[in-house]
Amino acid sequence: MSEPSTKDSGATKTPMVYICGECHNENEIRPRDPIRCRECGYRIMYKKRTKRLAVFDAR
Amino acid sequence: MIKSNKCHLSAMSPAELVKHGEHEQEWGGYFVVKGHERLVRMLLMTRRNYPIAIKRSGWKARGSIFSDCGISMRCVREDQTATTNVLHFVTDGTAKLMFSYKKVLYYTPLVLILKCLCDYCDQFIYQKLIQGYQHDSYYLDCVQNMLRNLHIENLHTHEDCKVYLGKMFRVKFYECPDWLTDSEIADFILKKCIMIHLDKPEDKFNMLVFMCQKLFVFVQDKCKPEGADAVMMQELLLGGHLYLQLIKERLQGWLFGLKSNILKRSSTLTGHLSQTEILQAAKRSGGLENAFEMFLATGNITSSSGLGLMQDKGLTIVAENINRMRYMSHFKAVHRGAFFQEMRTTEVRQLLPDAWGFICPVHTPDGAPCGLLNHLTTNCSVTDVPDARKVENIPIILTRLGMVALKYVASVGFDQNYVVVLDGRVLGYVRRDLAPKLVEQLRLCKIKGEEVPNTLEIVLVPLMKVTAQFPGLYLFTGPARMMRPLLNLKTKEVEFVGTFEQVYMDICVSPDEYYKGVTTHMELSKLAFLSNLAQLIPMPDCNQSPRNMYQCQMGKQTMGTPCHNWRSQSETKLYRLQTPATPLFRPVHYDNINLDDFAMGTNAIVAVISYTGYDMEDAMIINKAADERGFAHGSIYKTEFVTLEHESSYFCRNPEKPELAEFLDTDGLPIIGRRMKDGDPLYCYYSVDESVYKVTKFSGKEECFVDMVKLCASFETTNRTACFTFRVPRNPNVGDKFASRAGQKGICSQKWPMEDLPFTETGLVPDIVFNPHGFPSRMTIAMMIEVMAGKSAALHGLVHDATPFKFTEEDTAIDYFGRLLEAGGYNYYGTETMYSGIDGREMTAQIFFGIVHYQRLRHMVSDKWQVRSTGPTDILTRQPLKGRKRGGGVRFGEMERDSLISHGASFLLQDRLFHCSDKTTAFICTSCGTLLGPVTVITRVAEKANQSTCKETCRLCGHGRDISEIQIPYIFKFFVTQMASCNINVKMLTQHV
Repeated sequence: MSEPSTKDSGATKTPMVYICGECHNENEIRPRDPIRCRECGYRIMYKKRTKRLAVFDAR
Repeated sequence: MIKSNKCHLSAMSPAELVKHGEHEQEWGGYFVVKGHERLVRMLLMTRRNYPIAIKRSGWKARGSIFSDCGISMRCVREDQTATTNVLHFVTDGTAKLMFSYKKVLYYTPLVLILKCLCDYCDQFIYQKLIQGYQHDSYYLDCVQNMLRNLHIENLHTHEDCKVYLGKMFRVKFYECPDWLTDSEIADFILKKCIMIHLDKPEDKFNMLVFMCQKLFVFVQDKCKPEGADAVMMQELLLGGHLYLQLIKERLQGWLFGLKSNILKRSSTLTGHLSQTEILQAAKRSGGLENAFEMFLATGNITSSSGLGLMQDKGLTIVAENINRMRYMSHFKAVHRGAFFQEMRTTEVRQLLPDAWGFICPVHTPDGAPCGLLNHLTTNCSVTDVPDARKVENIPIILTRLGMVALKYVASVGFDQNYVVVLDGRVLGYVRRDLAPKLVEQLRLCKIKGEEVPNTLEIVLVPLMKVTAQFPGLYLFTGPARMMRPLLNLKTKEVEFVGTFEQVYMDICVSPDEYYKGVTTHMELSKLAFLSNLAQLIPMPDCNQSPRNMYQCQMGKQTMGTPCHNWRSQSETKLYRLQTPATPLFRPVHYDNINLDDFAMGTNAIVAVISYTGYDMEDAMIINKAADERGFAHGSIYKTEFVTLEHESSYFCRNPEKPELAEFLDTDGLPIIGRRMKDGDPLYCYYSVDESVYKVTKFSGKEECFVDMVKLCASFETTNRTACFTFRVPRNPNVGDKFASRAGQKGICSQKWPMEDLPFTETGLVPDIVFNPHGFPSRMTIAMMIEVMAGKSAALHGLVHDATPFKFTEEDTAIDYFGRLLEAGGYNYYGTETMYSGIDGREMTAQIFFGIVHYQRLRHMVSDKWQVRSTGPTDILTRQPLKGRKRGGGVRFGEMERDSLISHGASFLLQDRLFHCSDKTTAFICTSCGTLLGPVTVITRVAEKANQSTCKETCRLCGHGRDISEIQIPYIFKFFVTQMASCNINVKMLTQHV
């Protein structure tokens, strides 16, 4: 198994925050981490809504 | 199964259920298989353990001299094993008993079986058979003849018969070991195939004797055929019973597998078979889980015995959750069986009077499953297995009440008696004059429910002066029967009444129908004969009956609120209405089942006026401003799962493609809330197989929004799985379907600007313009009442009750609501003066104007529009494909062709059917007139590859002088070739034009 070319592995390895479906705890999960809540062990993780601007042209 | 006692939700309180992300009202009863809610379908079966007199023309084909008459009995054991025995009448005056083993039918003479069952002498059997029929000389002759026939075959004793039976059937019962004697095999047959609901041979004997008597009465037209299509002769096949049967059969199969495994093992082994060996063999025989998952996921069964079913497919269904109405009706649906779907006769589909109170007359779909897929009424319940102790009491109580048990029966005169049969076992006889009193007493015991089960069905079929059903007193205690509560007028208590029982009872619907000394029972409610959905129709008694059926259909297709736990749903498709409202005019049942928790539909201001011309033929106009304010807005939630192909692959955005950042987060999954278009990157992952980042694009014709993204890990696979939920906005559009609750459906044809719509004196503008031509032919008076009721409800701040049978001819609904309107300062008839939206002039006509609850149906143009100019064609015919998904066209069929011909639009016809279809150029030899003759001959001019000339020659004429090019449909060429393969030449006469 080969690693992806890691020029800026910092960027690829930045964790994202997911919310546990069971206990609503916020988990930081990196791409290759197991998908599992650190608090309760639940295995469905919800992605958080983006904080980015999502404005659509209303015309 | 959800909410079974093995399910962790089973004991939870509503509050706990909500805490666990379930619905407060979760009722369970279904299985979750591969993400689908599936339930085992209820099927209508023949009533168990009752011999039914049937005339079936197909029975004539069962043997050379078989008749169409027979007494059929579906025998069901306590463990729900079922087989059918039929006593056939053979036209030579004998009776043959049919039994089946491993789906194969066998016929044996009745007397042979009788003699095998018990060691009785011929005289005794003769006496038994003719008891009560001594004056029927034809019957006496037949019985004597049947007894004599057996002796002709040289079978004289009980043992002779058993040996004969065993010897004849040994080959077919190969499961029986070789060391069994012929007589033991006969015992096996009698136990497993004949009257299996009875254990004692004497009981089987007596039942067969009773069946024989009934058969000969039936054959001589002294009693009527009963017919398996009547609800009184039916019960249900419950999911649990089917499941139990399947377990039984699978276990049996497993044991056979184990046996052969052990035998194989022991043949290779020297010495003793140890316990570990046996355990290992057991392990190797496989399990049951897979078979059951398969059964629940597909609804198919593979069974050697057939389980007494007529179908092996479609036994489970998905409980679709389009809205609450659809979902809940799945649990009360009963199907007659897939077998009947193909039958051309309509007999099985008929609604018979004995279905009253058990099966809803309104709630059945129209079209192919009409009358086959029915729904139970709200009050109808299904019996459970009775308390065995109470069932044992019944014969004792019956004897106390005046029944003469069978063993003392020789002393009574038979022509004055009714036979007493309990669950397919002949108990004894009761004098005809005593029988009504006995039934009355027994009914009292039943209502108390202490000594006998309160689900006991007491059917006294009286002897009538005309030919009717075979008389007798039949009692049923078994499970799976339909029963419904009625008020017993004698005790003023609730009594459960079965389908067969009801036929011979005198029940009034309301007190004014009561006849003193005749009526014994009364309905608990006037609505007891309706199903859940039919009870939700406002005032169905004021509608033409098919309109109520249509509403039962359309209610199930409405967009609404299917669930509350949107965040934990991952259903492939969910419909949601953004702002549902509770109807202002609704039946009490609506509140009884808390339908407001799953609201659907919106209250619309409706003007019944023919206004623009855009409301012809069931079209309706929606006010554009109302639409923009959010009228009937909705959306579809679509979910898809993505599982990466390799277990080490993972979701991640390609760091070398910064342009992806606009679409995806660093985890390679889309930004939540983003608007997605066709071709946008959906997700990016690192593929370990190919060691590259890969981007998958979103494909979807419509614009939608990313609503939810879930990362899912499971116990089955370590592959990464993501779940994407998209929200597709589906606000009302031209071409979307709407319907009121009176079966009045319509398509939105325009969103009309508010300023151009008519307005009332108070300045009110309608949300919906409904064409008045929708009323006269459809006679949906309930919708007209709703216009008035809705208006008065809004005026006075009330909710009006729309339960049927509340108003009468003297005290009409129209008058009631009319007076309410008057009290509110409006016109008594619900009409208003309106002004044209175009020029502001007052209209001469008074316009019927009010509030109606409108449902938005899930059929929307966005899912249906289809357009094609050129596109994919069929390979074989070269004609355009059909189907929206494949980019095909709409069929221009024979009827359309006829229409164009009659218009004389020949160029259009040629364009549609030729140029836009399978036009090809072909060579034809005009001298022999064939399409198949011309071939292209390539002659090389020089040694170079491109230096050659082509020349068309005819293979049949041998020259190419008369070859010319014509344009024909490709399918014609295909046809000519096909004809050639049948050795037929197609010759065409051609002409230059």
